[in-house]
Amino acid sequence: MTVDRRQRPHADGGRVVPNYAFTAGRTRSAAGTDMPIEALVTATEAGLAKAPGLPPEARAIVEVSTVPQSLAEIGALLGVPIGVARVLVSDLAAEDHLAVHLPLVGSDGRPRRELLERLLDGLRAR
Amino acid sequence: MDSELGDRRVSAGGTATREARDLLPLKILIAGGFGVGKTTLVAALSEVPPLSTEQQMTSLSDGVDDTSIVPDKTTTTVAMDFGRVTVDDSLVLYLFGTPGQSRFWFMWDELARGAVGAVVLVDLRRIDDSFAAIDYFENRGLPFVVALNSFPGTDGVDVDVVRDALAVPARCPIRYVDARDDGSCTDVLITLVEHSLARSV
Repeated sequence: MTVDRRQRPHADGGRVVPNYAFTAGRTRSAAGTDMPIEALVTATEAGLAKAPGLPPEARAIVEVSTVPQSLAEIGALLGVPIGVARVLVSDLAAEDHLAVHLPLVGSDGRPRRELLERLLDGLRAR
Repeated sequence: MDSELGDRRVSAGGTATREARDLLPLKILIAGGFGVGKTTLVAALSEVPPLSTEQQMTSLSDGVDDTSIVPDKTTTTVAMDFGRVTVDDSLVLYLFGTPGQSRFWFMWDELARGAVGAVVLVDLRRIDDSFAAIDYFENRGLPFVVALNSFPGTDGVDVDVVRDALAVPARCPIRYVDARDDGSCTDVLITLVEHSLARSV
């Protein structure tokens, strides 16, 4: 297991930054108010195992996240505003039912150069 | 559109966590006035039909009634269309069509944070509609390109005239685009990423 050292976007303008703990690609968040709408969510094995016993919305989120989904997609697929999706995902991530993959940004708050280069390669190959 | 439609390149089933460990999202904002073609462009590029999501924004109105114990709250629901492009094994790009009206700017700050950049779509018949977005991205230092959406009767307009009219800085690329065409839209994204890289240190 390696520790995920990716940085998340720095909040500015005095926003409260929740304490995410980074463990093997999972992000735990008590509040998750800073989780960006493009954050990717995947179901964990534990989440899939426990999904049948979860409340309907939680179960739906875990089940659609067998393939990676952004927070925005989860909101759209469940028909709930992003803020609601954010709270549900945060709760599920706190219980290790979901893994959250945050954007990788540099100290300037912008995507790292190597990611921009990979994006460019991917777009040119389309 | 090609055979990649709906192909997420991550096999379902099995151990999602292990496969997903290196997943990274990126985002690009698609801005511009109402009806300029933001959703058309997102649809041309997205590997899934564009989805729509709602963001409820609550802002405290201050300075209106200082004696009030409970501040007035204004809740606005803003709908956003967005799409998804799988870039490689672990990189997923999201395109967010952002509400063009200036009264939604308070939500642009959140959207713009960590973004690769923005495409400002311009309808040459109504170029003033795009001025606010250009002004916003310029002020925030977010890399952006201006894309002139082709509509009947707008061919042959000189790019330099548009640059002057919209006060687009010389370093910022301006391109023509057909928002219905995947290849044309991809070229605009490539221009944006190149521009973003050139500004990256």
